[in-house]
Amino acid sequence: MSGILVHLPEGNGEDAVTLRLGPGERARFGRGSAGTPVELRLGDETVSRLAGEIHATDDHWQLSNLSSTHAYLVENPEGAGEYLRVPPRRIGAPIPFEFSRVVLPSRRETPLSFQVFAPDHVYLDPHARGAGSWESRTMTAYSLDETATYFLVLVALCEPWLRDRSPAAVPTTPQVVARLRGHPACARLTARAVSSHLDYLADEKLRIDMPGDAGRADRRNGKREAVVGIALKFGIVREEHLALLPRPEAAEPGR
Amino acid sequence: MVHDLAFCGDGEELLPPGHRVGEWTVTGPIGEGGWATVYAARRAEGTAGSDGADGVDDTIALKVLPTAGLAPRQARQVAEAAHREAELARTAPHPRLVRLLDTLTLAAPDRPALDGSIVLVMERARCTLRDLLATGVDEARGARIIAGICEGLAHLHRSGWVHTDLKPENVLIGRDGEVRLSDFGLAIELTGTHGHCAPMGTPDYLPPERWKAPLGEHGVKIRTTADIWALGIVIHEVFAAGVPPFPGATPTARNAAAQQYAEGRAALRLAPAVPPFWRALAADCLAPTHAARAPHTAESLLARIRAHQSGRRPRRPRPRTALLALAACATAAVTATALWPRPDPAAHPARIRVFNAERGCQDRTDRDPRCSLGLAVDPLRPYTAENVIPTRVWNNDTLDADCQLPTGLPVINEEDLTSTVWYRIHLPGPTTAWLPAVRTKDRPTLLRCP
Repeated sequence: MSGILVHLPEGNGEDAVTLRLGPGERARFGRGSAGTPVELRLGDETVSRLAGEIHATDDHWQLSNLSSTHAYLVENPEGAGEYLRVPPRRIGAPIPFEFSRVVLPSRRETPLSFQVFAPDHVYLDPHARGAGSWESRTMTAYSLDETATYFLVLVALCEPWLRDRSPAAVPTTPQVVARLRGHPACARLTARAVSSHLDYLADEKLRIDMPGDAGRADRRNGKREAVVGIALKFGIVREEHLALLPRPEAAEPGR
Repeated sequence: MVHDLAFCGDGEELLPPGHRVGEWTVTGPIGEGGWATVYAARRAEGTAGSDGADGVDDTIALKVLPTAGLAPRQARQVAEAAHREAELARTAPHPRLVRLLDTLTLAAPDRPALDGSIVLVMERARCTLRDLLATGVDEARGARIIAGICEGLAHLHRSGWVHTDLKPENVLIGRDGEVRLSDFGLAIELTGTHGHCAPMGTPDYLPPERWKAPLGEHGVKIRTTADIWALGIVIHEVFAAGVPPFPGATPTARNAAAQQYAEGRAALRLAPAVPPFWRALAADCLAPTHAARAPHTAESLLARIRAHQSGRRPRRPRPRTALLALAACATAAVTATALWPRPDPAAHPARIRVFNAERGCQDRTDRDPRCSLGLAVDPLRPYTAENVIPTRVWNNDTLDADCQLPTGLPVINEEDLTSTVWYRIHLPGPTTAWLPAVRTKDRPTLLRCP
């Protein structure tokens, strides 16, 4: 349980902000002022000084809407339009998504939003057996959502080994983008998105130990190799997961 | 990893009663776990010892780990787990570890899902500690169980192994009523002070540092203090009718609570039902960091339990319980007196004699490190390894105390005496440190520390 991650992209003259909240910790958001300090400043007049609060709890988080007039939306960017509406004055609404985009109403063309990641969601192991309570079961301590895009990226990275092609190198980001293009959820997947999925896997989900002395480019390559090595070694990605990928023929015409 | 079961097979293929495995005949399934199914079996007729004439009990447990139908990597993992169990049993047998009698490969050509399974032949236990917790465990029984677990862990740690999956499901109660630690599929052998294990475990029993531990190519770094944390959880469960120490409806909620505690945002609140000695023991096992847990080795915990038991048992006859309670009250009165210094306290330093409540340490003069006591840097911070100066003291050492602090953090000693009083100690050189009042029997009249 390492908590949640809140990310406010840069914009409106403000720098990007990333906050990490451990279980039980809170962060307030809003326009803020000298008398109403907030951890997450949203510089827009339509937003109240203290617009709401995020509270990390268990493996998820809660959203309190402190506005008395506006509802907030919490979208699941991976959920094909799945969203939650948090009405005004609602306290502690539990948010079930691993990835969330919190959208606040604004007069601007692009709505005001920030992201919240909850990487601690727990999944049972796929082949867990046993009739006893799941609560006392031995399980993999790093749970991945096998329906998430990051998992597809991971399977695509591991594919050459799973198909026993004795590859020389881990697929590159453009190769992953091309490989996943045939998948309905990845039609608009960009190279940048693949890189962020990789970072999320390495830093938040698997918490991979990287040597600190490598250069930036080396680090990215090293990270990619480390993610693949660990996913294969500990059986996080297995042969059966190849079925999640689009058919190779579709992605590699001419073969 | 093996569950108690009211078991319906769940679509998995099972060996039928009467199936012959090596020299053994399956009598029925007992439990099912992550990778394995456990069956009861007895020696097949016509094999040596099957007549029971030698008086040897011929029922055993068969742990069957199927490998058919698994991807090569998974099959390798299962084989590695079985190999570790066998290796541990071969190199470090102990009366508190479940006995491994044999390993076999299952030949069941008519059952492809089970053919080629690895079979571990083990002594048969009466039940698991989890089963026992459901029926209720009194204090004496609980004490014996925890002492048994500590014996097993002390042996494992001494032999260079970490269990990594200690929980009531994996603590078996043998037919003699004694503890048998089991399920060493995740056990790892240490190289130096630590080893690496696969990123697996049972969430309720993982130490807080595991949730942040980075994953390297060999797995997660693990040390013996991981077992000590799990032991702290088990101690609480044993004395609080199966209730875990951290609040929450699900393991995830309890993990979050443990994390809040470890980060200093919540206090440790153990159930009042846990008797004081065991509460203090559990609290030490549940010290928030590896460093704070490190002084509480399985060995030292076992010594405390033994001292507690030997100190208690002779004084336990019923007519004297009231006296004992009186004695405890008397000590409390002394502590209370110390809280309000007398009108005319001596302004001069006093000599105080160190008292180690652990009986095994009172007659020793060899200054064994295991019998040493620590002096705190700061009496307002927890009395843990991080808050202790390098200089150690032993029973009967005399120290110079120059003032007292009546309101430090409370310290409970091995005899369940609690006190918030601390004495400031002058050591050679300009060093000062703090001795908790429970670590001496002297009650000098001293000025309150500024």
